[in-house]
Amino acid sequence: MAIPLAPELRRKRTRERLRTLGFLSPWLVGFTVFFGYPLLATVYFSFMHYNQIQSPTFVGLRNWRYVLEQMPLFGPALWNTLWLVVVMVALRVAFGLGIGLLVTKVKTGAGFFRTAFYLPYLAPPVAATVAFVFLLNPGTGPVNEALSAVGVSAPNWFNDPDWAKPSLVLLSLWGIGDLMVIFMASLLDVPKEQYEAAELDGAGAFAKFRYVTWPSIVPIVMFAVVTGVVQTMQYYTQALVAGKLASGVSIGPGTVIQPGYPDHSTLTVPQLVYSLGFQNFNTGAACVLSLVLFAIAMAVTSLLMRKRAGLLTAED
Amino acid sequence: MPRTHRRAPALLVPLLLCAGLLLSGCANPGRGSADDDPTRPVTLRFWHGWSEKNEVKAVDAAIARFEELHPNIRVKSTGNVSDATVNQALRAGGGDAPDVVSSFTTDNVGQYCSSGMWADLDPFMKKSGLDKEKVFPKTLLSYTSYKGTQCALPLLADAYGLYYNKDAFEKAGITRPPRTMSEFREDAVKLTERTSGGSYKQLGFMPDFRLYQNSPDRLLAQWGPKYFDADGKARLAESPETAEFFTVQRDLIRAQGGYGPLERFRTTFGDEMSSQNAFLTGKLAMHMDGEWRGLMLNEAEPSFRWGTAPMPVPDDRADTYGRGYLTGTVAGIAHSSKHQNAAWELLKFLTADTEQVVAFANAIHNIPSTNAALASPKLDRDPAFRTFLDIAANPRSTGMPPSVNGGQYIVSLRDFSFDVEAGRVHDLAKGLRALDRQIDDDNLQSRN
Amino acid sequence: MHTTAVAVALFFVLPFVFVFLTSVMSDDQAMSGDLWPHEWNWSNYAAVFNTPGFLDWWRNSLLYAGLGTLFTVCSSVPVAYALAKFRFRGRRTALVLVISTMMLPPQVIVIPMYLVWAQQLHLSGSLWPLIIPMAFGDAYSIFLLRQFLLTIPKEYLESAKVDGCGELRTLLGIVVPMAKPGIAAVALFQFFYCWNDYFGPQIYAAQNPGAWTLSYGLESFKSAHSVNWNLTMAATLLVMAPVIVVFFFAQKAFVEGVTLTGVKG
Repeated sequence: MAIPLAPELRRKRTRERLRTLGFLSPWLVGFTVFFGYPLLATVYFSFMHYNQIQSPTFVGLRNWRYVLEQMPLFGPALWNTLWLVVVMVALRVAFGLGIGLLVTKVKTGAGFFRTAFYLPYLAPPVAATVAFVFLLNPGTGPVNEALSAVGVSAPNWFNDPDWAKPSLVLLSLWGIGDLMVIFMASLLDVPKEQYEAAELDGAGAFAKFRYVTWPSIVPIVMFAVVTGVVQTMQYYTQALVAGKLASGVSIGPGTVIQPGYPDHSTLTVPQLVYSLGFQNFNTGAACVLSLVLFAIAMAVTSLLMRKRAGLLTAED
Repeated sequence: MPRTHRRAPALLVPLLLCAGLLLSGCANPGRGSADDDPTRPVTLRFWHGWSEKNEVKAVDAAIARFEELHPNIRVKSTGNVSDATVNQALRAGGGDAPDVVSSFTTDNVGQYCSSGMWADLDPFMKKSGLDKEKVFPKTLLSYTSYKGTQCALPLLADAYGLYYNKDAFEKAGITRPPRTMSEFREDAVKLTERTSGGSYKQLGFMPDFRLYQNSPDRLLAQWGPKYFDADGKARLAESPETAEFFTVQRDLIRAQGGYGPLERFRTTFGDEMSSQNAFLTGKLAMHMDGEWRGLMLNEAEPSFRWGTAPMPVPDDRADTYGRGYLTGTVAGIAHSSKHQNAAWELLKFLTADTEQVVAFANAIHNIPSTNAALASPKLDRDPAFRTFLDIAANPRSTGMPPSVNGGQYIVSLRDFSFDVEAGRVHDLAKGLRALDRQIDDDNLQSRN
Repeated sequence: MHTTAVAVALFFVLPFVFVFLTSVMSDDQAMSGDLWPHEWNWSNYAAVFNTPGFLDWWRNSLLYAGLGTLFTVCSSVPVAYALAKFRFRGRRTALVLVISTMMLPPQVIVIPMYLVWAQQLHLSGSLWPLIIPMAFGDAYSIFLLRQFLLTIPKEYLESAKVDGCGELRTLLGIVVPMAKPGIAAVALFQFFYCWNDYFGPQIYAAQNPGAWTLSYGLESFKSAHSVNWNLTMAATLLVMAPVIVVFFFAQKAFVEGVTLTGVKG
């Protein structure tokens, strides 16, 4: 029994706790005020009718029924977001890996290529989107002009409901710089001896990739996929700007522009939240949609917490 | 995850504390008052949507005149403000919020009146002895009120008509602007010229709903549709006009080469208000637009002669020729304003002072919005503008009915119309019924 | 291999070239589909700078990005340090919560947040509702910094403790200098996040053109000022320029930061 030591130990404990609390305090306050409160309030407002002018009134499940059953844009928005999550993420990871392989293999001018491939990632999303809408403008854009000069019949890109999302994917591939750097770093980490050993065994290029490169970069690929999914669920700016500009509709003061041109093909869930909450002031319905988005995000996040995604390790 | 959550209830305590924050956290934005003395010194904020140079100049001139008449009131005006902005600012309240607000569209009046966001003006009119029935034309009064609440007043009006390229008409051997929809289609085809590559050099008329001012509600006005029945239920499917309108629209599109090529041609157009406007550059021979375009054309000095006329009407209702779509800028007092009596002085001056209304109308070529101003000898009456004055005076011209849900039903109509013009609606009757249901659902959802 | 690289490089570089060429064309030519300018209208750039508000947008972007970065770094470093080096009950939970908030789309909680800023605090129409929360830690920055701090060997910290340093002095005197590359990367990321942010300014600054940022202003540039593609492209390049300039000066920190995100794989 070390009774005499106990008060001192306790004091030390308390001090340590206070210290920890002190260091964590910015985040604790931030988490409570800027995350906890609004999340609960979102749940609260999802059961209220509130036009941000008159006092909120309780309406039970009306907002939920409205969003899930009556609102025609809910389906397209959900579909587009899922489409982008699947296609955009898959292509970005594949393309990023390809570019990563390419820059690690190129012998001359590697510095130039790296910079060239990386720069577009730095272009602010709004600027990059504005540029792409112009470049891919079917009537006057240089891309279609060039394509028709060589006799290729070009699509209408952002102006065609079937091509609008692929055009957004193209835009996202242009900004592949972040993934390129990650893949490049991990590819350079693969021990050279393993390649040499594989070569001795007479492995071809494909076999080398399959049996040497791939196993060592799998965690990075996983990481790229999961963070890609999370980013794409928030996909907002590019889709909104592309739709707005490509529609050619002047934002005459007064006119409410429904996002998603053409034909809701670029309407994502976050855009719909904005449109409901800040254009229609349908607070309740916007909050319902927010919670749907929250549920999906949490489902993905729980995947992330698994070991393979690499965000948390066993000793955490 | 559940396993880890259980381990640290301490961290979740603050989360629960939020409930308290929440219950205390949803009060209303500050209410305004009408107890101020309008003869005391005060600064008013006036928000409007005008942004072109000549327009801003005209607004500034109006304010200068007002400040001369009311030396105690200073007016700080902010231009290029959209409805979305007004909407947000009035909900947010606070010191920077405007006192006098305006909107370029009548779409949202129903919402402004029913929610109380714009103050009821009848008490102010009573106080200053202004008889609205005498001062303002009836159509304009109806689109500025909702269910008996007059929360806005017309601040100049807009009428829509046809602009046409006289040189192109001459070249195509057309002697006068079309009056019926069949003539319209025939003329449009005659006026369409193609390049050797098969694309368009000049298009007769672009009916596409996304072009500049071509919103379907504006084109549909030529049919004089009824949007709601007496109970406020949407009835677009029941009135044969709607289906007829879409049929004519589709014929127009087909006759000139189809939706795809037309939309592709549209992507070669410059911005509506810029020097690259498609009518101005000769890409369109006929074009629907508001009366203000005349002034802009005069200033831009295009390389062709142009004229104005009412938009054509359906073949079986040729006697209604002369009608058109009406809308207008509307102005009101913000519910949150603390100087509502002073704000009323400004509003009254802007909307009801004959001299001011005439001067403003002449300066920016809009339709004056009071009976006295319409009759004023000082009103500019050049022939191109005259057409629009007549459209505005035509008893069959219509605006949009106000709705509790603001312009949401117009947005739904637009969305549906985009589907129709793209050829994605195969059963029009069924589609219109679904549209009605949608509008009703949305309206219900927006009610308390 | 080299031909492929050149072909791919064209895909990355040509958009910049086209944008630049269009930015010096005349109004008419920008609408023509021509690829090469007939005449070089450098005055387009002057016209963009003379657009009402353009300089305000610059100032606001700098304010938002500058203060936002400063606040984020100052508030996130201690939190990251605690999460990386302290042992305490609920540490894993805290970490899970940080990662969860990092993954959460900002649209989920924006509406109640907006209502508080607008109706209670009357701060909408400014960028403060975006800047102030950054003084309370940013999940992404906390996470990245923590990952970086994990790589600092324990012995350094313990030797500091032996020297009698308090935790705060250990943090400022030992950890921060050692974590400079990590902090630089986080600062850069945050700076560009703010610089590029569109959603935030759209929610809070839209109603007051005096508070618009470059990213927000650029989108409305074409429609609000009825300008043509040539000026829009000039403005686009002017928005891209600072980011690219900063990149060339801070290339190393950048690549460091990007690899950091994946380093724990």
